[in-house]
Amino acid sequence: MVAQQLPATPRASRARHILGYWRHPVAQAVLKAFLTVFVTTTITFFLIRLMPGNPIDIKIDELTKDGLMTYQEARAQAASLFSIDLDKPVLEQYVSFIGNLAHGNLGYSFVSQGTPVTAIVLAVLPWTLFSVGTGLLLSFSVGVFLGLFAAYNRNTRADHILSLGGSIISAVPNYFIALLIVIVLGVELRWVPITQMRGATSSGIQPGFTFSFIGDVLFHAILPVSVYFLASVGHWILGMKSATINALEEDYVSAARARGLSDGRIMTAYVGRNAVLPLVTQLAITAGLAIGGSIIIESYFVYQGVGLRLQAAVTQRDYPVMQGILLMVTLSVVILNLAADLLYSRLDPRIGRAGGATGT
Amino acid sequence: MTPILSVRDLSIDYRTRRGPVHAVRDVSFDIEKGETVAIIGESGSGKTTLAVSFIRLSPRSARITKGQILYTNDRETVDIQTLPDDELRQYRWSECAMVFQAALNSFNPVINIWEQFADTARAHGMKDSAKIHARAQELLDLVHLDPDRILKAYPHELSGGMKQRVLIALSLLLEPQLIILDEPTTALDILTQRSIIDLLGQLRKKLGFSLIFISHDLSIAAELADRMITMYAGTIVERASVTDLFYRPRHPYSVGLLRAVPRVSGAMGSVASIPGSPPDLIRLPSGCTYVPRCPLAIAACAEREPDLVPVDTPNHEARCIRWKTVAEQVGTAEVAVAEKIATA
Repeated sequence: MVAQQLPATPRASRARHILGYWRHPVAQAVLKAFLTVFVTTTITFFLIRLMPGNPIDIKIDELTKDGLMTYQEARAQAASLFSIDLDKPVLEQYVSFIGNLAHGNLGYSFVSQGTPVTAIVLAVLPWTLFSVGTGLLLSFSVGVFLGLFAAYNRNTRADHILSLGGSIISAVPNYFIALLIVIVLGVELRWVPITQMRGATSSGIQPGFTFSFIGDVLFHAILPVSVYFLASVGHWILGMKSATINALEEDYVSAARARGLSDGRIMTAYVGRNAVLPLVTQLAITAGLAIGGSIIIESYFVYQGVGLRLQAAVTQRDYPVMQGILLMVTLSVVILNLAADLLYSRLDPRIGRAGGATGT
Repeated sequence: MTPILSVRDLSIDYRTRRGPVHAVRDVSFDIEKGETVAIIGESGSGKTTLAVSFIRLSPRSARITKGQILYTNDRETVDIQTLPDDELRQYRWSECAMVFQAALNSFNPVINIWEQFADTARAHGMKDSAKIHARAQELLDLVHLDPDRILKAYPHELSGGMKQRVLIALSLLLEPQLIILDEPTTALDILTQRSIIDLLGQLRKKLGFSLIFISHDLSIAAELADRMITMYAGTIVERASVTDLFYRPRHPYSVGLLRAVPRVSGAMGSVASIPGSPPDLIRLPSGCTYVPRCPLAIAACAEREPDLVPVDTPNHEARCIRWKTVAEQVGTAEVAVAEKIATA
C-alpha cells in the first residue's frame, strides 16, 4: 500500500504493469489450469506405482516360468528392456519423469517395445474427443432446443412427454444404455451390425477427405455417440426448461414485450440467451465426466479410443502409457473447462470484464 | 376533442384457487392529449393491474370481465382488447410506452444498451442503424447522459438513476402519445428522485406527450400531475384536479393518504397512518369498502357501495355519501396540511 502511494519510478510502474497481466482473468484461468494439470499428473504418477504388481515382476514371471533363467538373470534382462529403472526410489523416478515431460517426452511403452507413448496417445485420443464431443454437442443443442420448447409450451402434452422422458432417460447410467444397445439392438433384434461397427474405422480404408472415409468414421462412431447423446440429453432438456421458465418471469422479458419486440427476438436474445448461461458451465463438467466414462462405453463397442487403450495399459501395467493417457485426458478436460469459462465470459458481460463504462 | 385514452367500466379479475380476485372494478376515466394524470393509492389497490391492461400485458391469470379500453390517435380509435397481435405489437411503445415499476431490471443483462435501443427501433420498422444511433444519441442527450458511453455500456455498469434515465430516453424513442410510468422513482434515493421528476417535467413541456403517473407518493404525484385519481380496493374513490385533491379532498381515504405524508417541517406525531388494512378482494363487503377503516362511517355506509358522485367543486367526484361531512372537517385542518405538502 505504502509503495503504491509513492511516486512511481518508470521501472516500478513497468513491473506493476507486468504484474497487472497476471491479474487478468484469462491469465489467472490459464495459471489455474496449468496447476490443475501438474497436481493431477503428480497424483496419478504415485497412484499408478501404488498398484499391486509392476511390469518387471510380470516380465520376470514370464522369463523364469520355463526354468531356463535364474531369477537374477531374468531380472537383469527385464530391467534392460525398460527405459525406467524401477529399483530407483520413486521420488527419483518422479523427478526424471517430470524432467522428460518438460521436454515433451512421455517415454516409451513397456509392452509395445520402442513405441513412443506420444504416438500411442495421439493415435487414440482424437477418436475419443471426436465421439464424446459430437455426442455432447448434439445432446446440448437438441436438449436446449427441446427444453426451450417445453418451457414455452408449459403444461401441454408435448411438455409432459419431454419432461417425463427427460427425467427417465437422465436417470439411466450411460453404461446401461450401452449394454441395452448391444444386447437388445445388436444381439436379440439384430437391427444393428455391432460386429461390423467395431473399431474406429474399417480395416483397409484409406484416411483422407473422401466421402467413403468420413462416412466410415461416422458409421463406427454412431453407437458411442448415441450413448453419450442419450445419457445427457435428458439433463439438458430439464435444465433448459427450468432455466427458461425462470427467465420468462424476468422483468426484462415483460419490458421487452412492452417495447413491442417480436416473439422470436424475445425468445432468442432475451429468454434463450439468459437461460442457457448456467448450462454452459455444466457443459464442461459433463464433458469431463463423459471422457472418464468413455472407458466403459468404448470397451462395450470395442471403439478404439482412449478408454479402450487405457484399459489394456492397466492390465499390462504399462506405466508410461497409463501415465500418458491420463495426462492427455486431464489436459483435454482442463482445456475444455478453460474454453467453457472463456465462452461464458463472452456470453455474460457481467463476468470477467475488466473496466467498462463505469471505468473502474 | 376525443381523449387519447378512454377507459370505460373496466373490471379485471385474477383467477386464484380461492376464487376470482376483483382487482379492478368499474374503473372509468379519460386522458386528454398532453395531460398528466396521477393514479394514487396504497399497494394492492389495483393501480398496476389497471396500467398493464392498457398495453394488454396482464399476467395470464388476469381476465377483463367487463369494459373497454379505447385508444385514439390522429387516424382512428381502436379497442385495445380486440386489436390483432401484429397491430398490438406496433401499438406497444410507438403509441403507448410503459416504464415498469421494476425499472432497474427492465434491461436484458447480456446485451448492451445500444442493442436494446436498436431492437426496439427495428421491431417498429426502423431499419437504418445510423438513424437509430443518431436518435438514441439525441434522446440520451435529452436526459442529460453521455450518449457514447451509455450506448456501449451493459446494464450492470449503470447506476439506478442512470438506468431510469436511459429507460425514459428509450420510452421516447418512437415518440409515443402516451407514456405510463409505474412508480418510476420508488427504487431511487431522494436526490435522484428529485432529478428524475424535474427531468420528466421538462420533457413533458418540451414534447407534449400525455402521462399516466402511478405512485403512492403524493408529493411527487402532485408535482407532475394535472389531475389525480385515488384508488382504493380496485376502484376509483375520488377524482379531482391536483389543487382540489390537496385542498378540498372529499373522500375520507384521500384525507387519510394526505395525513400519512411525512413533512420536513412537521413533528413526528403529525404523520398519521390509516388504521386497519385493505379489504379482501375475493370477498368484498356489500357496502362501501372503506367502512372498516373509516372514522366517519355510519350504518348507511355499509348498506350498498356508493356511486362516484359530483361534489361541491367542478370536475370533482367522490365515492362517499358523507362527502359533506368530510368537507366540513377538512375545511379546518387539512388545508394547512396540504399547504405544507405543496410547498415542501
